[in-house]
Amino acid sequence: MKPGFAINSILALTLVFMLGPFLLIFAASFGSEPTLAFPPRGDLSFIWFERVFQIQMFIDAFQTSLQVALAGSFTALVLGVPVAYALVRHQFRGKDLIEVIFSSPAIVPGLVVGLALLRYFVLLSDVPVTTGLYLGHTAILFPYTVRVVSASLRNLSPTIEEAAVSLGASRLRAFLLIVLPNIRSGVVAAFILSFITSFNNVPLSLFLTGPGIATLPIRMMLYMEYNFDPTIAALSTLLILFTVLIVQTMERVLGVSARI
Amino acid sequence: MCLFPHPYPLCLADNLMRVDAQTRSLALLIGPALLFITALFLLPLGTVFVNTFRDDIGAFTLQGYRDFVQDPVVQKVYLRTLRLAAIVTTISALVGYPVAYAIARMRPGRRSLAMSLIILPLMTNPVARTYSWLVILGRLGLVNNVVEALNLSERPLRLLYTETAIVLGLLHLFLPLMILSLISAMENINVEVEEAAQSLGANRLTVFRRIIIPLSADGLILGGTLVFTGCITAYVTPALLGGTRVLMLATLLYQRAMVLIDWNSATIIAVAMVLTTLAVYRILRLFRPRTL
Repeated sequence: MKPGFAINSILALTLVFMLGPFLLIFAASFGSEPTLAFPPRGDLSFIWFERVFQIQMFIDAFQTSLQVALAGSFTALVLGVPVAYALVRHQFRGKDLIEVIFSSPAIVPGLVVGLALLRYFVLLSDVPVTTGLYLGHTAILFPYTVRVVSASLRNLSPTIEEAAVSLGASRLRAFLLIVLPNIRSGVVAAFILSFITSFNNVPLSLFLTGPGIATLPIRMMLYMEYNFDPTIAALSTLLILFTVLIVQTMERVLGVSARI
Repeated sequence: MCLFPHPYPLCLADNLMRVDAQTRSLALLIGPALLFITALFLLPLGTVFVNTFRDDIGAFTLQGYRDFVQDPVVQKVYLRTLRLAAIVTTISALVGYPVAYAIARMRPGRRSLAMSLIILPLMTNPVARTYSWLVILGRLGLVNNVVEALNLSERPLRLLYTETAIVLGLLHLFLPLMILSLISAMENINVEVEEAAQSLGANRLTVFRRIIIPLSADGLILGGTLVFTGCITAYVTPALLGGTRVLMLATLLYQRAMVLIDWNSATIIAVAMVLTTLAVYRILRLFRPRTL
C-alpha cells in the first residue's frame, strides 16, 4: 500500500515541527538588538556570534565538555569492549545479571545518578570536580558501548577467530588482529554515540559543577538565568550545525539511526 | 584434551583447570568494568536508597516517605508529571504511526535522509533544542508577532512557563524515539500481507487498523515506554519551558536538592522517580503481543 496524500501531509507537517524550530533559532541569532525575538530586531549582524567567542566562560565550558566527552567515551569503550566480548562469546552463570548491570545506567534517570554521585562519591572522596565529571560520565556511557559493540560482535562469525587461535595465535593476539578490525564500524559508532551522549548530558553534569567548572550545556543554562540577549541563540546555531555534521557523517558512514 | 570420561582423576583435574581458565578470562574481561560501575554507580545509588529509610541517628524509619506522600506540592507535581507524560505519549503515537509508515515505505536513499532528519532533535544539545522554543513562544517570539500582526489579542500572550509549552518541548524531543521504534517494527511487515488484505476488499483504514497496527504493536509498546519514561525523567525541557511556575518531578527534585538543600526530600523524589519508571516498564510489557 503506497502512503496516500493524508499520510504524506502528516509526514511533511511533522518534519516542519521537528526542524522548523532550528531554522527559527538560526534566524533569531542574526539580529542586532539585545533581545531575543522572531523576526529578529534591528539590522542583520553577526555580533552575537562574536559575543560567543568573547565570553571566556563558554570557551572554558566547551573545553571541559570536550575533554570529559572524549576521555569518558574512550574509557567506556576500553572497559566496555571486553564486557561485550564476554557477553557474546562466553556462556556463564550470572550472564543475565551482568547484562542488566551494564544496561542499567541508561534506565536510571540521570538526575538520580547525579544526586547519588555528588552525595556519596564526590563529597566523600574529595576528588576534583572535573574528575568527578569524567568518572560519572564514563559510568553512564557503558550501556551504549556494550550494546553497540555486542551487536557487531554477534554479526561476526567466531570461526575466523578460532582459525587464528588454532594456527597458534594467542587469544589476545587473535582479538587485536582479527576481531577488532572486523568490528571497527561498531566501535566507531559506539564512540560517536557515547561522545554525543556525554557532550549533551545535562542531568548528571547539573550536580557536578564547581567554582568556574561546568560543562557547556550547564553554562548555557546558567547564562540564560540572567541574560536575555541572543548570544545563546548564536551558540545554539553553532551547536546545531555541529550536530548536523556528526549525524550526516554517521548516517553516511555507518547508518547509525538503525542502531539506536 | 581429555579423551576419557570423568572418573579418571587426571581428566577431572584437566576439566577443573579448563573451568578455572574460563573463570580467569571472564574475570579479566569483565572485572575492571564491573569494579568501575560498582564504585561509581551501584554503590552510590544503593546508599542513596538505603539512607531514605534512616533517620538522623541511623534508625529505621518511614517518616521520609510519609512526608513525601502527604506533601501537597509533591502530590500536585507528581500527578502533573504523569498527566503530561500520558498526553505526550498519546500524541506521539497518533502522529508517529503515519510518519513511521511513510518512512518505512520509502526507497532506501530517501529513507536514510528522512531518518537523519528525524533523529536530529535527539542528537542536538538539549539546551539549544529547548531554546528554539523560546524563540517561538517568547513574548517577542513568532507566535506573539503573528498574533499582534493579525490583531487577535490586545496584550502579548503568555505562552512560556505553561503546561502547553512543556508538552511541545517534550514532543519535539521524544517523537523521534516513537517514530524510530515504529519504523523498526514496520520493517518486518511483509508488503504482500497488506496487498492481500487490499485485494480481498479492505480499504486503507482497515488495512491500517487490522494489519499494520497489530503487527507493529511491539514497536508501539517499546516506543510508548521510551517516551513515557523519558517524559517522567526529562529535566531541561521542564526547567526552561516550565520554570519554577510549572514544576515537574525532575525540576522539583533539583529544587529540593540544590536550592532548598533538602537532601532527604530530594532522594525520596529520586526513589519515586525510579520506581515509577520501573512500574511503567512492567505495566506496558503486559500489553506486548504474544509472538505469533
